[in-house]
Amino acid sequence: MVYLPIAEVSLNLFLLLGLGLGVGFLSGLFGVGGGFLMTPILMFLGVPPAVAVSTQTNQIVASSMSGAIAHFRRRSLDVKMGVILIIGGVFGSVAGVQIFALLQASGQIDLVIALCYVGFLGVIGALMLAESVSAIVRRARASAPPRPVRRKRTFIDALPFKTRFAVSGLYMSVIPPLALGFLVGVLAALMGVGGGFIAVPAMIYLLRMPTNVVIGTSLFQILFVTALTTVLHAARNQTVDIVLAAILIVGGVVGAQLGARYGQKVRAEELRAGLALIVVAVCLKLAWDLAAEPSDLYVLIEVRGS
Amino acid sequence: MMRASLPALALMAALAAPASGHDTDPPVQPEAQIAAALTEDVVEIRSTFAGAELVLYGAAVGLEPGDDIAVVVRGPVRDLRVMRRQRVLGVWVNSDPVFFEGVEGYYAVASTRPLAEFATFSALRRNRIGMEHVRLSAPDTERIETRFGVPGVVVSDIGAAIVDYRAAVVRNKARSGLYVEASGGVEVLEAGLFRARVVLPPATPTGVYDADVYLFRDGVPIAVRRTSLEVVKAGAERAIYDLAHERPLAYGLLAVLLAVLSGWLASVVMRRN
Repeated sequence: MVYLPIAEVSLNLFLLLGLGLGVGFLSGLFGVGGGFLMTPILMFLGVPPAVAVSTQTNQIVASSMSGAIAHFRRRSLDVKMGVILIIGGVFGSVAGVQIFALLQASGQIDLVIALCYVGFLGVIGALMLAESVSAIVRRARASAPPRPVRRKRTFIDALPFKTRFAVSGLYMSVIPPLALGFLVGVLAALMGVGGGFIAVPAMIYLLRMPTNVVIGTSLFQILFVTALTTVLHAARNQTVDIVLAAILIVGGVVGAQLGARYGQKVRAEELRAGLALIVVAVCLKLAWDLAAEPSDLYVLIEVRGS
Repeated sequence: MMRASLPALALMAALAAPASGHDTDPPVQPEAQIAAALTEDVVEIRSTFAGAELVLYGAAVGLEPGDDIAVVVRGPVRDLRVMRRQRVLGVWVNSDPVFFEGVEGYYAVASTRPLAEFATFSALRRNRIGMEHVRLSAPDTERIETRFGVPGVVVSDIGAAIVDYRAAVVRNKARSGLYVEASGGVEVLEAGLFRARVVLPPATPTGVYDADVYLFRDGVPIAVRRTSLEVVKAGAERAIYDLAHERPLAYGLLAVLLAVLSGWLASVVMRRN
């Protein structure tokens, strides 16, 4: 058992290390941050949601740091796009931490975190599942992937303040990446996730960035946004548990290494289908907890600063 | 048994000494007197803290057959908001908050027999002994009125619902081991010596605790003795907690710095392999 000084609960050290290892393994395997799994699991274990969310952002700083360095060395990231995403993310993070504090004061933070998770995980899990299953089916029939359709002009092309993104080979308005960065910043602060699971598909399908720079750019943005979010949570809400974060980081780093190695031996479609199943399972568990009759109809919320 | 008797005997000696020392002006001898002490008066929360167990030892001078002892330990007070869950569109939502002021974070009562068997309701209520008598005041919902010609009656705005809220506080605290009632938890050994176990769960709040020992005769307490204990965070846990609350910005920057360093370290190790 280890006592967590900010969460003010005692948890089994090996359970936490194992969790970090397991989620780190998944994140290495699938190339995702794992925050969307770790934050709900910490809450299931009895860590106060506010502490779970803010501590998880601290852990993501470490995992995105090592990821971003690797992509920086390979030059597979678009720094200019990343900086614009970060500018959006700074505003999003500041707004998110304020919203978080207000929700905490009104006793609705748990509900909003759970609803956000159910909504996002449900949509993304379903999309991923459909996509990866159709890919597996297509491969079984040995047919060629459908030819990419020539992109049409969308409302994004009509926006002003255009600039050139040399690495991504794009000439587009700065408004969509700013808005995307803002959204990801809010999510980081509210949900304790890096937001890669939103940012990566959005960059590919909405911003139409080349796939090879998307992951690196996303990690680059996540690094700065989660670092800022951690500092803001610590300063505004005093909810970052450094002991818990350290344990999760150690487990996560080792797990990510193992996952990345194992991932080279498995096929991509099966991997994505597996991740989609995990996402859907976490979503269903959270949805069940929201809808099922609680064991006690009353909740006690300690009023802070008294 | 041996462990119990030795400190308790020392207490007895301490009690007896001043009485025999002054024979010039004999003090008015009270009916009974209590001495009590805890095995520890400071409980430290360190990294391996998973709750604690202490023993309260004492001696009741003038204990007669048929007397009973109750021990109440009360933890530091915090303000509490209690909300009722209601189903809205299929989802359980917290609603109808009631604000309770100064709720004890820990409340344990142990006694020689079930409380109702040796104490009157009003004595228990007045001294706040027993789980039904924990102080739970919700000042925002209360008014003082004159009812049926009786002035100073506390009336709740939310009527009978306040009873459910009070019960919910006790029930929730009891579930995490913070509110405990143990009839039979006080063991009378011999010659007025007694002991009671005090179990602090892992979720024990930090602060000053008061342990009150009541000696009951004919339904009312005839002697009371208070001793106190403190639960503190210690060692690295304390340093971390203090830093997080006193210099939150520095703490946040430190947390990020540690994360950045370990991420960088991981990528260095990764490249070596």
